Amino acid sequence: MEFIQNYLYYIASFGLILIGLYIILIKRNLIKMIIGLSIMDTGVNILLISMGYLSGGTAPIFSRENLLPSRMVDPVPQALVLTAIVIGVAIIALALSLAIVLYRHYGTLNIRKIRGLRW
Amino acid sequence: MVSPVLLIAIPLGGAFAIPLFGFISKHISKYIPVIVTLTMLIIVGLLIPEVSTHPIVVKIGGFQPPFGINLVVSPLSLFFSGIVSLLGFLVSIYAIKYIQNGDIEKYHLLFLLFLVGAVGVVLTGDIFNIFVFFEILCISSYALVAYNRDKDGVEAGIKYLIQGSVGSAFILIGIGLLYGLCGSLNMADIANQIHSVNSPLLFLALFLFITGFGVEGAIFPLNAWLPDAHSSAPSTISAVLSGFAIEVGIYAVVRFVWTVFGASNLLHFLAGLGILTLLIGELSAFKQNDIKRLLAYSSIGQIGLILFAISIGTAESTTGGLFQVLSHALSKALLFLAAGYMIYRVGSRDIKEMKGIGARMPVTSFCFLIGAFSLVGLPPFIGFPSKFIIIKSALLTHQGYFYFLVGTVLLGTVIEISYFFKLLQGIFSRTGETGIDEAPMTALVPMVILTLLIVGIGVYPEVVSRFLQLASNNLIDRIGYINQVLGGL
Repeated sequence: MEFIQNYLYYIASFGLILIGLYIILIKRNLIKMIIGLSIMDTGVNILLISMGYLSGGTAPIFSRENLLPSRMVDPVPQALVLTAIVIGVAIIALALSLAIVLYRHYGTLNIRKIRGLRW
Repeated sequence: MVSPVLLIAIPLGGAFAIPLFGFISKHISKYIPVIVTLTMLIIVGLLIPEVSTHPIVVKIGGFQPPFGINLVVSPLSLFFSGIVSLLGFLVSIYAIKYIQNGDIEKYHLLFLLFLVGAVGVVLTGDIFNIFVFFEILCISSYALVAYNRDKDGVEAGIKYLIQGSVGSAFILIGIGLLYGLCGSLNMADIANQIHSVNSPLLFLALFLFITGFGVEGAIFPLNAWLPDAHSSAPSTISAVLSGFAIEVGIYAVVRFVWTVFGASNLLHFLAGLGILTLLIGELSAFKQNDIKRLLAYSSIGQIGLILFAISIGTAESTTGGLFQVLSHALSKALLFLAAGYMIYRVGSRDIKEMKGIGARMPVTSFCFLIGAFSLVGLPPFIGFPSKFIIIKSALLTHQGYFYFLVGTVLLGTVIEISYFFKLLQGIFSRTGETGIDEAPMTALVPMVILTLLIVGIGVYPEVVSRFLQLASNNLIDRIGYINQVLGGL
């Protein structure tokens, strides 16, 4: 029980990453694969955030009085996640727009049926 | 003195200036990449004398290296930026006439962003920043592969996108793990303390980095996207994708394995992987009927050779590997550019349709011939000194393992010769067709410049070999890198 409490964030984030990877590898529908990509991104973001998270912590503003270093949340992972979210949005947007064009060409989103090139 | 930041700032500024100039005239957009890349080329030229003596470390925002983001302009990164700007310049001249359909402004915007990504990856000294530039490179190349919006292009684009973004997610997990273990994002700082970290997670992080960057670097078995993406993209994009995008992926893999992790015991594994990549690439190229797919598979083979050479681990072999990077960039770009107009004139990518094109397009076909000879490694072209150095340095290691691998490299070369000669035989066969239908001037000029470079460097390899030695020392000298960046902190 203690193990789960200590590593809850890591279990959750790796769980999400693996679920996303499973969807990308197994599902045949392109939209579902893109959803899997999005789930995987979320898992990675949670992993990064949980690296520096402190329960009940606050932003490290050094001019504020009575703020001990042990109560500060590491701001670097949060800055990374902010960037990673933006990049993730760009990838998902591009993927969805490509999926639309692909549907217009083939009339299906099943990747087993889209075989212009050898998949 | 010129600031190396301009190498990133100028193409980035140029990219966002294109839509603004579009308000004045729609035709300006195709000349902006030419001007921008020419400026980058001049900046690289101006930086060479200074970087040859000591690497420049640029502290962005004035923060001392373990904090903040820094750029490390070493001979190695300058060598790669030089290739990026040179090919960028020649390809953007070619693109003036070649890119006629679709949204031309967006093509040139994405092309410049692509260059920003490539230059950024090689210049930066920060593991998160490398991820960001890597994503700029990847996202713009996904869009460029699908630029024609035809069946093949879009399918190849989305395939590339899905595999590439899984790779990027892996890189990000690796960055998270490494930050958790070392508490730093600076490459030199991590390299400094990585041997004092003792955790199985370190191995996981290294594995994730190799997998993630290996997707872009087309290391077997992560290269399923490459033949489709390189063959379906417009020829200009195939030229730059083959010319420097995969080499940038290899650069990132090598940077992480050598400098950041210092994992020299992994080199034998990478050398074997390189040879496997080479064999798979050459064997698949052998049975292709599509000229661009053939060239794409041949790129996989060449990448395998580069990875093998760098993984041998001596100073000379690394020099050979970097020489091979240069030789592959010039030759493969030339081949793709020449193939671009041949396909355009014939109206098909099938090799059988190419019969007799040599009589119709004499200059283009001659350039294609030079490119193919150089790739195979015939003297006096640039491919000869590079392959020669690699094989010589592998034999000098006196290890049975490398003897075996060199034998495989030579076997791969034989296969390469056979399919290129089959292709050339078709191109130069006589069909009785007459009438010259040559490519336009904007296409001939870059091709002739590339041909002259291939022959020139092939005859006088000393021109570049001194700088390449500096670059390879910079790659091998891990402690030197740490000291240069942290300044003996």
